[in-house]
Parts: sequence; structure tokens; C-alpha cells
Amino acid sequence: MEKWHPEFFDRYETATVFDLLIEYLKSGRIRVDKSVNNVRAAYHDPCNYGRKSQELFGHGYFDEPRWVMDQCMSDWVDLFPSRGNQYCCGGGGGTLLTPFKDERTHYGRKKIEQIRRTGVGTIVVPCHSCHGQIKAIAAAYDMPDLTVKYLWEVVADALVIDPD
Amino acid sequence: MEICTPDNTTSSILQSAPRRPVDSPTPLCLSCGTCSAGCPITGQSGFDPRKIVQMVLAGRDKELVKSNLPWLCTLCGKCEYACPMGINIISIIRTARGLVDRDKVPGQIHKGVELGLKTGNNLGLPQEDFTFIIEDVGEELSAESGFEDFMVPIDKKGARMLHTLHNKLVNTQNEDLVHWWKIFHVASESWTIPSVNWEGVNWGLFSGDNDAMKTFVDRIAHHMQALELSCLMYPE
Repeated sequence: MEKWHPEFFDRYETATVFDLLIEYLKSGRIRVDKSVNNVRAAYHDPCNYGRKSQELFGHGYFDEPRWVMDQCMSDWVDLFPSRGNQYCCGGGGGTLLTPFKDERTHYGRKKIEQIRRTGVGTIVVPCHSCHGQIKAIAAAYDMPDLTVKYLWEVVADALVIDPD
Repeated sequence: MEICTPDNTTSSILQSAPRRPVDSPTPLCLSCGTCSAGCPITGQSGFDPRKIVQMVLAGRDKELVKSNLPWLCTLCGKCEYACPMGINIISIIRTARGLVDRDKVPGQIHKGVELGLKTGNNLGLPQEDFTFIIEDVGEELSAESGFEDFMVPIDKKGARMLHTLHNKLVNTQNEDLVHWWKIFHVASESWTIPSVNWEGVNWGLFSGDNDAMKTFVDRIAHHMQALELSCLMYPE
């Protein structure tokens, strides 16, 4: 968009998934009850929102999702390493669309080791590729009970619905 | 003093790969192997980022383009992030992808791009099927307490925000469509999904096809104007 439609940003607002969630939560347009999400979870930094966004656009979305996690999860931990030095899940760059399943699964072992070390049963991600890949490698590496959730899913699960 | 730049290379990949994140000439590579040590797939099926950089420095573009190597990389950028010389490893790999004959691009990536260009979504799903799925999932949500008056706003002119969709949610994972819809509903957001060209994923990025990538971006800009919207929600 910046390259092909530079005028776009003068005419329109843009919002990332994090901007929206934070806007809704801070303004009180949505309220959440974190006691609903009462299992310990871990957060995974997707390459594109974190490291690559930092490199290409000068800002990595590291703190924003963690703030949302704080609002919606009773208890959560970071993987190690995280943020700029995190390991990719192995499903990025379109690799989920290729026939190279063995390579992809081998790639994902690092992510599974990280998750296993934390002892959590739930991993939260804000990326569709990570979601699909972590589900696949959890099955391949004998963690069939690992729950994979979207960041906006834990927000939706914790929504306080006002009775009309 | 004459400064050596990559211009005297025989590698067309080096000549066209954007130098980023920093403007650092690729011949400055120290061949230290930091990239390879950090990459989770080094050693698997011949993959090794250090060797890929050396390959293009030696002008062995054809060998790289013909191999599966560019497609084993997830473009995650850990190599570049750690590289002490700021070498554009990811740009090199993505540029190599773009040089592969389109009918030799492995798997679904280019097929999805072609379908996306032709039909407006990477699945090639007809418009009436799309509308049926979306409205059906919307109706199910309206059966839940607190969402009784929920309806999916398709092509709603003058709404605030454009919401595009990842094709996998429309395809096999319908249950994951509703998370954002619930949030929008409770937040009283004014939003809309377009009935055509609703694809939220730009596989031109993955296939190395900049022309296709631009077409998909153009469509987003067109929606904003045609539907008189004011805010673009970047695809999930």
C-alpha cells in the first residue's frame, strides 16, 4: 500500500488487529472478564507482526499483543526466546501451501520445544499461518491436547455481554 | 578510490533484490554462518542461508532458482535480524522465487494467485457460495444470546471499516469467522465485508509476483472508494 498507493494514507485511516483490540478495550467499547480464560497460556510472536514489521516499517508489534493478553488471560507466559529473536513456527512465507511437509515439520520442532518447556496447554497467536502450523506440529510431535487460539478469539471468549 | 558494489556481479538476483533492512551490499557477507546457526531448517534437504548468499555471490542464480531451496524458507527473517552485516537474505530468497517459471512454483501458491486474480479469492469460490456461507454462519451467531440482531454487513456503503477474510476461514474453518464478528457487534462497530474480491491474503507476497501483489492491493483501494469507507482493517 505504501509503495503503490501512497495517497491512500491521506484519505483513509488504517488499523491493525492490535490497534482495534486496544482501541475497543481502552475506550470501554468492549469489556472483558479474564476469569473466563483461566488456564495458563503462552504467547507466540509471529514473524510478520514482530521482527519483520520492526525491520521493514520501524515498529514491531511486541508490546501491543502482550497488553491485550494481560487484559484477557488470567495467567500467561512468554516463550523463550521471544520478540525479535523468536523462532518461526515453520508455517510462514507460504510454506503451508507447498508439498514440503517433512521439511515444514522438522522446522517446527524448535517451536514445539519452546512450548513444551513452558508446560502450558494453550498457545495464543495472532496469525493464521502460525495457527495452522502449530496445530499440525502439535499433532506430529505428540502434543495432541495443545489448544491453539487466536488472540482475537481469547478476546471474543472473554467478552462481557450486557443484557438488553 | 573505487568502491566495489554488487553492480559488477553476474547475478541478476543480486541486482534486483532490494537491499533491506539496511542498504548493505551483499558482497560484504562475512560468511560467518550466524544466519545458518539461527535458522531452524539449516541442514534439512540442503537448506543453508549462508550457502544461498554465497551461491548468488558466485552468480549461481540458475542453480538456486531450479532448486526447492527458495520454497523451504519461511521468510521469517531471523537470519537477517542476527546478521552482523545487514545482508538482504530474505530479499534474495524472495527474488529467487519470482524468477521461477510460474508453472514450476510448487504446491498451491501460484495456483492460488491465479485463482485470486481470476475470481477475487484464492479458492476460486463463486460469489453465491461465498454469500451463502457467510450468511449461514451469521445466522448461527444470531442464535446466541446477546447476538440476536446480528447480521453480516455485506457491501454496506458508508460503513467505517473494511474487513477482508482469510480464505481458510471461508473454506474449512467457518467456526473461526465469528470471533471478530462478536467483537465488532459488542463494540457497535460500523464495518463491512465486500461480496467480491474479499480475499484478505496476498499470496503474491509469497510467490514473488509483484504484479499480482499490486493487483490485490489495488482491489483493497478500490473497495474503500466504491463502498465509501474510511478505515481499512489490515488483514489478520
